[in-house]
Amino acid sequence: MPELDDKRLSFKLVYYGPAQSGKTTNLLRLHDLLAPELKGEVMTMETQDDRTLFFDLLPLGFRAPSGLLIKCRLFTVPGQVAHDGTRKAVLSRADGVAFIADNQRDQETNNAESFRSLTENCARVGIDFERLPLLVQFNKCDLPSAVPEAEILGRWGNTPWPVHFASALHGRGVRETFATLLSLLYHRQNAACGLAEQHGLSEAAFVAGLLGQP
Amino acid sequence: MSDANFDREWQLGDLLDPAQLARVGGALTTLLGGDCAIADGNGNARFGRIAPGARHRAVALELEPVAVVHSASADDRQLAAAGELLHGILRTQVRYHMASALHLEAVAEDFESLKRKHAHLQASEARYRQLAAELDARVKAQVAQLEERQQMLYEAEKLASVGQLAAGMAHEINNPLGFVRSNLSSFQRYLTQFSSLRERLTKDLPAWQALDLDFLIEDGRELLHESDQGLERIARIVGDLKAFSNVDRASEAFTDINECIRQAAAVIEAQLPPGIGLQLDLLPMPSMVCLPGHLKQALFNILRNAVQAVSDSGKPGTIKVSSQATADTLSIRIQDTGVGMRADQLEHAFEPFYTTRGVGRGAGLGLSTARSIVLAHSGTISLSSRPDAGTTVTIDFPAPP
Ligand SMILES: Nc1nc2c(ncn2[C@@H]2O[C@H](COP(=O)(O)OP(=O)(O)O)[C@@H](O)[C@H]2O)c(=O)[nH]1
Ligand SMILES: [Mg+2]
Repeated sequence: MPELDDKRLSFKLVYYGPAQSGKTTNLLRLHDLLAPELKGEVMTMETQDDRTLFFDLLPLGFRAPSGLLIKCRLFTVPGQVAHDGTRKAVLSRADGVAFIADNQRDQETNNAESFRSLTENCARVGIDFERLPLLVQFNKCDLPSAVPEAEILGRWGNTPWPVHFASALHGRGVRETFATLLSLLYHRQNAACGLAEQHGLSEAAFVAGLLGQP
Repeated sequence: MSDANFDREWQLGDLLDPAQLARVGGALTTLLGGDCAIADGNGNARFGRIAPGARHRAVALELEPVAVVHSASADDRQLAAAGELLHGILRTQVRYHMASALHLEAVAEDFESLKRKHAHLQASEARYRQLAAELDARVKAQVAQLEERQQMLYEAEKLASVGQLAAGMAHEINNPLGFVRSNLSSFQRYLTQFSSLRERLTKDLPAWQALDLDFLIEDGRELLHESDQGLERIARIVGDLKAFSNVDRASEAFTDINECIRQAAAVIEAQLPPGIGLQLDLLPMPSMVCLPGHLKQALFNILRNAVQAVSDSGKPGTIKVSSQATADTLSIRIQDTGVGMRADQLEHAFEPFYTTRGVGRGAGLGLSTARSIVLAHSGTISLSSRPDAGTTVTIDFPAPP
């Protein structure tokens, strides 16, 4: 649920997925690639063996023509199975989710397991999964063991969720993934938040404002 | 959004309590050359007083300022350094607060899922317990059924072996019975002929009298008569034994049970001792397929028991036979006002050779035979009785389709 007062509107977007799929890498690359009016530091919480124990947070923002400050706070969840309580807490109140899958064949089970936990946890924390802005990114496409795109599209093409291919480590597909998530978010929230009507924000302006494009 | 959420936008007051703020502010005042005020994100001073014309430096954690350092005594470089210092402190604080708030939320979530798992476990435990109880009950019921079947089997076998024995005995007894009977009747004739000697012996009557032959002839007749009665009884017992052992032979017929009752009653009526009345109260019944000979035998046995019970009571009494048909049952009731039976006697009443009378006054096959016959017709037979009040035998057959 977005946070709205008379000066600012704040969205929460969550990068969800199995452990080590590249969620933190996505955030770090976004921080480098994006140039919105306002951009905070990536806050990476307490890592243990390079694994996210709590979450990462990247705040982005820009001012709408109406003067409203639009903020977008990007979180990652810890992927380890043991941290399900933390994952649920981070997922709570999410306005959109990017599911980051590890596109190596031997990770398919982990991906499926994590996706299932996403649907379950959404129900637990009161998120309407059917209406949730959600997309799937298949990351690590640079690796030789990556599953071919055609095969993935054959499997995911009929789902309601847009699919992106990425190599977050090399910054490929990261920005596109985020742009798509912003479009989904805009469609979901436009009417409720009066983005176009009250604040003069078209979909393109909304996406561009957060990506940092003129 | 609740104050407890880890992902809320933390404000200065959340991150530094008044005591912490006073210590940080005090240190900064010294570093900044004597004047320092710290305001929150909304511009309200939280430490010190903002001097007119003071320079200021905003400190942001995410996008917007959470604190502003004001100083009139510091130059820009000093102010920038103070802002950096405060930023470092607040960053540490926000990390700590977010981590601990998230930890609490996660623990609450874990607790929730534990509770769900617990409820789940409890539900399945209850299910298993119920299942175990059901299984237990089923096992018990089956054991009981097995025991009952075994008992029935045992009784059927007992009955069958008794039946075989009875058939053999009846056969063996019938032969000597036949010639003893014919011998006795010959002897009766001989005695009559012998007694005719007396008319011719007018001269030597004293010798006749000395030998007390009048008495001998008289008593001989008596003895022969008693022996004949004894033989009669033996023959009846043998007949009973034969009927008992022949229950599942003979031919079936489509018969009115009331007719069977009337015929059996007719035989009994002929032998009724004085003071005993027999009363029939028969309502129309549908005919059914049965072994009429056997059925009559069963009714006869029961009626004979009833007569015996009334005679044993030493009082006049009646035997009432009634019949009645309902949609699914044909019922016969034979009610006497005889001596009745005690509970312990009732319990054994259907056993072969069990008799409530003195030894020799009944073979005890009557009721047992009757029951075998009724069971062979898919019927049930039951007894109710009170000592000195009488006995009622009820026979129920399933109504013919
Ligand atoms: N080859 C390859 N490695 C990647 C890519 N993205 C992330 N990684 C590596 O995968 C590991 C886990 O990444 P991280 O972002 O920490 O995963 P997280 O657990 O989902 O946050 C790190 O060693 C990354 O360098 C990618 O696109 N290609
Ligand atoms: Mg991570």
